[in-house]
This record gives sequence, C-alpha cells and structure tokens, in this order.
Amino acid sequence: MKFSYSWLCDHLETDKSANEIGEALTNLGLELESLTDYSEYSKFVVATIKDFRKHPNADRLNICKVDDGTNTYQVICGANNVKKGLKGIFAKDGMYIPGTQINLKKGKIRGEISEGMLLSERELNLSDDHEGIIELLDDFQNGTSAVEALKLNDPIFEIGITPNRGDCLGVRGVARDLSAKGVGKLKPLNFKKINQLEFASPIIWNINNDDNSCEYVVSRYFKNVNNSKSPEWLQKKLISLGLRPINALVDITNYITIDLGRPLHVFDADKIGKKIDMRLANANERILALDNKEYTLDKNTTVIADGDNALAIAGIIGGDYSGCTDDTKNVFLEVALFNPNSVAQTGRTLGINSDARYRFERGLDKNMVIEGLEYASYLINKICGGLVSKNIEAGKLDNFEHKINYNFDYFNKTIGLELDPQKQIKTLKDLKFQINKSNEKECEVLVPSWRNDVKNKIDIVEEIIRIYGYENIKQSVPSASIDEIDKIDNSSTNKKFKSIKKLKKTLISNGISEVITFSFHSIRAQEILKGDKSLKILNAISDDQSYMRNSMIFNHLESAELNFKKGFKNIQLFEIGPIYNSSKSQENILSLLISTEENTNSIYKSEEFNFYSLTELTSILISSLNFDIKQFNISRSTSNTYHPGQSAELFMGKKLIARYGKVHPLILEEFSKLKNCYAIELFFENLPIDSISRANNINIIDSQFQFSEKDFSFLFEKEQNLYEVQRYVKGLDKNLIKNVEFFDLYIAKDLGDDSKSVTFRVTIQSKEKTLEEKDLEQLHKNILEKVSNKFKAKIRS
Amino acid sequence: MDIKKVLNEVTKEIEQSSSQQELQNVKVAYLGKKGKITELLKSLKDLSLEEKKSSGSKLNLLRIEVDNLIKNKFNDLKIEEINSKLKNEYLDISFPPPNFIASKAHPISKTFDEVITIFGSMGYSVAEGPDIETDFFNFSALNIPENHPAREMQDTFYIDDKDKEGKPYVLRTHTSPVQIRTLLNQKPPVKIIAPGRTYRCDSDSTHSPMFHQVEGLFINENANMGDLKGTLIEFCKQFFNVQNLKVRFRPSYFPFTEPSAEMDIAYEIVNNKIQLGQGDRWLEILGCGMVNPIVLENCNVDTNTYQGFAFGVGLDRITMLKYGLTDIRSFFSGNLNWIASNGFTIGDF
Repeated sequence: MKFSYSWLCDHLETDKSANEIGEALTNLGLELESLTDYSEYSKFVVATIKDFRKHPNADRLNICKVDDGTNTYQVICGANNVKKGLKGIFAKDGMYIPGTQINLKKGKIRGEISEGMLLSERELNLSDDHEGIIELLDDFQNGTSAVEALKLNDPIFEIGITPNRGDCLGVRGVARDLSAKGVGKLKPLNFKKINQLEFASPIIWNINNDDNSCEYVVSRYFKNVNNSKSPEWLQKKLISLGLRPINALVDITNYITIDLGRPLHVFDADKIGKKIDMRLANANERILALDNKEYTLDKNTTVIADGDNALAIAGIIGGDYSGCTDDTKNVFLEVALFNPNSVAQTGRTLGINSDARYRFERGLDKNMVIEGLEYASYLINKICGGLVSKNIEAGKLDNFEHKINYNFDYFNKTIGLELDPQKQIKTLKDLKFQINKSNEKECEVLVPSWRNDVKNKIDIVEEIIRIYGYENIKQSVPSASIDEIDKIDNSSTNKKFKSIKKLKKTLISNGISEVITFSFHSIRAQEILKGDKSLKILNAISDDQSYMRNSMIFNHLESAELNFKKGFKNIQLFEIGPIYNSSKSQENILSLLISTEENTNSIYKSEEFNFYSLTELTSILISSLNFDIKQFNISRSTSNTYHPGQSAELFMGKKLIARYGKVHPLILEEFSKLKNCYAIELFFENLPIDSISRANNINIIDSQFQFSEKDFSFLFEKEQNLYEVQRYVKGLDKNLIKNVEFFDLYIAKDLGDDSKSVTFRVTIQSKEKTLEEKDLEQLHKNILEKVSNKFKAKIRS
Repeated sequence: MDIKKVLNEVTKEIEQSSSQQELQNVKVAYLGKKGKITELLKSLKDLSLEEKKSSGSKLNLLRIEVDNLIKNKFNDLKIEEINSKLKNEYLDISFPPPNFIASKAHPISKTFDEVITIFGSMGYSVAEGPDIETDFFNFSALNIPENHPAREMQDTFYIDDKDKEGKPYVLRTHTSPVQIRTLLNQKPPVKIIAPGRTYRCDSDSTHSPMFHQVEGLFINENANMGDLKGTLIEFCKQFFNVQNLKVRFRPSYFPFTEPSAEMDIAYEIVNNKIQLGQGDRWLEILGCGMVNPIVLENCNVDTNTYQGFAFGVGLDRITMLKYGLTDIRSFFSGNLNWIASNGFTIGDF
C-alpha cells in the first residue's frame, strides 16, 4: 500500500514529520517498507549558467560560470545541453551525490579547476535519465532549494498490510489508525451529498442466481457526463504513486479505491443492456478484461452480465468492452459487497491480482457502501457534470454489529503487564470501539464496522497492546524447571538428535563432508528408483523437483558429478535427512556416497576403495551407534540401485538397518563423469533409541596374562554366511575366546564351484591365568570339530 | 701369569673389532667355554688356597672388566651399524603431499545444534513432524481457513494424493503443524521446539523451495508475552553471541497467534559488512505471538486454564546473518568447495 504524505494529510491533521509517521506506522503493525523522502535534497540549489567556454584540453567538456545566488563557481561540465542562461540544480564541494554514491570533491579536471557539479536526474536518483543536466523550465530564483524547484516535498510511504487489516487498504484507514496512536487528528470526510436525484435509473439490477456471492449492490446512473482528462489535483495524486491517469471516470474509481479502500466500478451505460444480472458464468465463457487479457471462466465464477454477455468478473476486474472511455456520455456506477470467499477463489483460479480483489477478499467496511456511493457521485458530478439518478439496488445491506464481552484482567494475564481498566477503555475509544457497559472488571465492546478482523476478546487485547506499544512489554528471564530438564533427558527426539550428532562427528572424522540436498527427485530419478506415485508434486517448479525423493543417492550422484566438474577426484559426502516411502511415510536416514578415481600418485599411494573398504566404514559407523555390524543378519541386497554382487543389507529381525554397496552401473550411466561409486544407507531410526544414544562403554576384557593366537582354515559352502561362523566361534567359549578375526578368503576352480576357503585367527586369553598348552590344544580341537560339524565345513591344513 | 698383559691384549682386540661378528669371536676367545680367561679361571683349582684367593679376585675383576668392555663395544658397533643403515634410508622430505580438503559439517547442522542447546537450557525439548502434511495440520487447525488471504502469504506445494478429508497433501509451509501434533498428543504443560525442513514454491537468492525453520511452543497456565519477549531476546543474544543486543518487537499478523509480533534486530554496516546488535537499521529475524485461543481449542486445550506462546525462526536466514552468507541456494548445492569454506570441522562442531 502506497500513499504520499500530502494524501495522508487529506485525512489526518498532524505536525509530525514523515520519519515520525513512518515509525508510528511500523509500531502499529503497518510495517513501513520504504519511505522515499527527498528532504535532504534541500542542500542542492537552483543555479544559472552565466557563461561558458570550451575546455582547452577536452573537446567534450565545457568550463561554465555558475551562479547559485550567493557566489559564482567554475564548473567543468560534460553535458551536451549546456547553454548560457540554463537553470539547473547545483551541488557544491563536499556534498554527497546520491545517484553516484560519492562525495563531491573540488579538484582539477584535465588541468582546469572544477568547484561543483550541475546534476542530472540520475545523479539525484529521480530517474534513469542521464542524457544531460536538469534544465528547469520555470523561472526560479538562484539559490532556491531543489526540493521546491523539483516539487519533491511530498514523501511517499510504502507499507505492508497484513491480511487481517483490510481496513488499512485505504489512506483514510491508515489515518484513522495513526490518530488512535496519537499521531494526529482524523479529519471528517470532505464532500457534499447530491441532493437532486431526479430520475430513476434506466438500467436496473435483475439478479437471478449469483450463488450468494453478492450480499448487496447499489448503483446510480449519470446522464450526459463529460469524460475527459481528470483535474490536475487528481492526476498528481495518482502519478505520485506511479499510477497512470486514464480519464476522469476511471481515475475517480481508482482514487476512491486508494483513498477509502472502497473499490467500485463504472460501466459505459450505452454499451450495456437495461437489465443487469449477476450470475454464475457458463462453462468456458470468455471475457476480455480491462488488463487486455482474455479469461476463460468456469461455473464457480460470478459475472456481472446483461443476458449472455459477461460485462465484468465480480469483485475482480471489469470487461474491456463496457469500460468508460473519453467518449462516454452516460455512466452506470456499481458499488457492491461481494463475498470475500468467492472473490478469493475466483481470483486465485484465474490468477488475477487486482486492487479490487485484494480489498474484497479481505472484507470491506459495510458502512462504507453508501458513503462510497455518495463520494463517487459527488466527484463524478463535480468533475464530469451531468445529472444523477436515484439509487437502484439489489440484495440487503445488513448493519454490521459485533459485540465482545471483555474482562480487563485478560490483558494483564496475556501480556504480563498491569494496565488500568480506564487506560484500556481509552485506547479502545481512540480506536473508535464503543464501550457499552462497563464495571471494574469487564465491559462490552462494540467493534467498529471496518474491523471485521476483531472477533474475540484476544483480539481486543491485541488492539490495546498495539496502541500501548510492544516496546512497553516487560521481558522476563527465561529458565528451565527440573521437570522440563527431566523431559529433555527422556525425550526420544532429543536422544535422536544426540545420536545424529555422534554419527556426524564420526563421518567428518573419517574424511566425509556433510551436504544438504533438496528433498526432491527429478522425473528421471523417480522413473529409475521407482518411488511411490503418491510422491508427485502437483505444482512443481521444475522437472528436477517433481517428486519427493525415496532415496538420496540420486541427489548425491548429482552432487558428486558437480564436484567432479570442479576438479574433485575423490568425493566423499553424506547427508542425514528424510526420504519418503509414500505421502504417508517418511524416515530420516544417513546416506553416504563415495566416488573414487584411480590414484595416479606414485609416491603417495593409497589402496583402491572397494566393497570391503565400504564394509569397514559401515562397521565404524554402526559401532559409533553402539552396535556391532556382525550382530546383524546379513544378506545380499536386491535393490536395483546397487551392484547385485557387491551390496549387502543388514537386518535386525525384520527391520532394515543398513544397505550398502557399489552403485549399479546402469544408474551410473546417467552420470557420465562418475566411474567407481559406493553408497551406504543407514536406517538408524530402526535401531532402539536408548541403545544408540547412550555413551559408548563396551566391555573389553583386559587381562594381564599371556594370549595365544591360532589360525584355522576351513572349506565352506560358497554362500555360507561368515557372520554366523564368526558369532558361533566366539560363542564356543565366551570366557577364553577374545577375538575371531577373518583374514583370508580363497575362491578358485581347484576348490570346486561351490566352495570357498576361509581362514580366521582366534585369540585366546584367560582373565585368571596363563593357559597351559594342553588347555589350548583342547580348545583348538573343540573349535575344529564343532565348526566342521555345524557348518559342514572341511578342515584345511 | 700376567693379567695386565691379557687385559692389554684383549682391549686391543676389542677395539680393533669392526663388526658385531668379530667382536663375538673375541668374546668367545676370551670368555667362551674354552676362552683364555675362562681357562685361567679353571686353572685356579690347582693353586693353593692363598694363591686362589689373591689370583681369583684379580681374575674375576679381569673377567668383569672385559665383559663390560665387550658390552660397550657391542653397543657402539650397533649404533654405528644402524647409523650407516639409516644413511641409505633418506627420503625426499620435500615431496609435497596430495591436496586435500578438510571434511566439514554443514553450517545448518551447527545451527540446529546450537538452537537445540540454547533452547534446551531454557527447558525446551525437541519434537518432530512429517514434511508431507495434511491440510488440517498445516492450515485449518492453525486457523488458516481455505480461501483466507493468509494462505497466499505462503506459496504451497501440493502433493498428488489426498488425505482422509479428500484434500491434497501439502509440503508443510512452516514448522507450525508440529504445534498441533504435539498439543493433540500431550497434555499441557508443553514446552517444545521443532526444527526441520519446510517448503514454499519460491526460488531466488533469498528464497529456496526448501528451507529450514524451528518452531517453538510453550503452553502452561501463565506463559505471557513478557516471557515470550525474554525468551527470544535471550536466544538471539546467545545465538548471535552479542550481549548488547538492540531489538524491536512490532505488531504483525499470523492467524495462529494473537497478539502476533515480529522481532527485528538492529544492525549497522561496518567496513561493508553487516554488524548485528547496534545501529539504526533493522533486520527481521522471526515471527511470534501468543497462541491464538482458537488454535488451542482446535487441539482440545482448555483456554480458561492454559495459555502460551509460539515462535518460528528461519534457520537458514539466521545462519546466513551469523556467518555473512549471501546466497541461500548455495546451501543446498552439494558443492564441496562451499562446504569446505563455510562448514565446521569436527572440533568446531
């Protein structure tokens, strides 16, 4: 919402400066977004070029003698419109030039002294014009301030209006709020009612079925008007806000929309029929609107029509055909109360953001209907002449009446501030709320007709504190109670965030960087990774963000490729965030991607990253969550994201804990730069929260007695799960078997197609004594026998 | 027998030994089973008791001295040998290591962590809700009815699937639905924060279709607007690490709070950089207010007994302000150069 200082003063008697008013607006909740105030330009003054000559050392420059009324200065000027007697705007040494953002300095230009500057419009931030210096056409005295000469003495306010404050979408409403804040006094509306309403309108309302989208409409017919340019005062007002004057009738409706916040519409009466209807549009009915666009309407749109012809979209925009032009002789004025919901719905469907829609959908002041009609009639009659008809109306105009029972304590309890009932009442009265009955404790408040947003007693509290000032609310010192700290300690979500932090630290310390990528999937990713179809976004911004992701791997591959193009060879990144199984189910997981290149450095060699390096990393991550990878059930992954032979899934019961492996080459086809990619997905939310969040204190037996190591080799079936073997061997003697470490795997033709040779080392140590040879031998024998029996394994060597 | 002679002889041989093997041979020749000194010691048994005594102790001293000499020589030879071996093991210490970029945590992670810690110290526990929400939780329970202009304040993403009420699911436009979820699940007092991802269809240097917010909610019998003010000022002081913080609360509007406020903090430009805390310009930091009794009633909370406040803070925005970052899009680009420049090492996280 934009308005000028002088426009505000049409409604508000005030001695406050623009800055003071700006601050008051913000404190009222009418946030000042910008205040264009040129008062500081008074330092620039009118000056005349007395004489000029060519600069001896520069063709394009002139040396001017400039008179600012007190002194004469030498000014070097490059403008092409320099001439003797030109009156321009002059800036002296040391002045700040807003358009170039520099302080002017006296100095030599190509050997000639320059003591100031004649300014262009651009140098004053008035326009982009830099063709030449400003040339004043009126005869101002030298020394007159630029503010006066350029008529810049009317600051422009731009304020943000929240959706509840439709009443401030007119300058008068803003003035009313300011007066309640004590910034000035609200002036009465200055117009005369037309007393001679001599004839009945030849055009009548004949409303059939508008689906209750219009509560009330009132019109007048204006005969023999003379529509041409509007008077200067009106044009200037519109121009000051950047609006283009069109013709008097249109300008008047635009003016009243801004001045009173009351949209109204004028039809050229000779272009419309005699019976005007409000009805729902026919399917696919079309209308060319005043914005020069054609709209296709649907059955929920209310139109103003004469029979089959739609003349306007109710409450939103008029039709081009029935609009008023310079030739308009007879006018039909419409002032209506449209239903905010229907206007909002239609406006949104058609995508039209008009001044009228903006105001109607926020709800209008019911008591302003007749006032708007009278005000418009007065202006049309005064500016365009002619005769005015009697009212023709349809529907019923109910009185706005809303009462709220309010107890003064409610303010104190909500705000934490004692405010005397008398002060509360005064504030409400300043806001033009009526106090009907009151005693020491409570009162009945009658809400003014323009405040349809004030519905309950809490809204009354807000009104009082808004005027009393938020800065007067006393802040208290926050604290935590023992109960609250207890709740935090026991909160599973707090524990989860603690575990996530642990996980992040482990990842970072292993050389993996954290990224955050969008929760979206591209159409392609959705196709390849087969996300649930309920994840489609109806109004996506782009094809790249059309679905909610069911995996992060695609995003991470994209990110890896981006980094590859930036010159990264080895890319290690992770993200902890949501993936979506369907519109009804999401989970937070850790997803990690490693993309490696062959190491060509012959000095600093590192082993090539492979599936087993990945397993080791998975094991480290799981152990940071207080679990041991080997305690889970492991199986090959069937996910098509991964290489079928180099990927695994870990389960705890039926719950998937992790999936990791080499990224499937078919997926890498989409990423031409990437060759060797591995990923881990850790579904940490499936692990019991109390286990993963506690501090890691596993029990490692520390013994002072000698340990012994023994290697065992077996020939197992090829698909034998070695995690099972490991767990089994360890369980054979929990007191003595300290470690079982697998360190060799041999698969070859000579072993047959369905066998593998596996070697592991068992570390044996007692807490109580150094074991004797015979104890050890017994244990070795036990291991050999039991493992070969249990797993049908052949003992090797 | 001349002990001195033997000593001279053996000392000379020890000194002349140039390897551990040679020295070992000397050791055998004198102290071995058939060594010269051993033989001499053996021959003592033929002597008289008196001679045994005097020669015996001299011979023993000789043996100890020779043994020591050999040990010392062994040590010298060992050091010499290792040193000469080391001479062949010199590497090019100036061969530069491969370039590497430190792995870091995302600045948003750091902010999440700080927010949870700061509000934790004020008694707020963490709550969560889903990103894909129903119309009820995201809008209507929060007093944002359909067709209300407030819906236009937030450009909503819709999902191609309908909830039980037949309305399309939405991507939550704010973290406020967690207020509703929590209040429907838990009786007051309630004191929670809910950090998380939020979505609006908007994209430029300060708007991203996905961003982060933290919601705060405190409901009990008497939490008032003064408490709200104190809580948020304290949060900003701690988060921005500015003790002398100039703030402004000004009236605003959110359908789910009444009265509503926005909080600004003062800033000034010093050396082309934003400096928070003082000055006469204002930056909007967050929205807040007393929870609208309509919202509490939607959650079956008795408004005669309970009241409280709520707030919502844009986490990306406060992160950008704290660290002087200018483009929100870079947060979610996955660019490791950006993470390395703006992220946090494990020590700082």
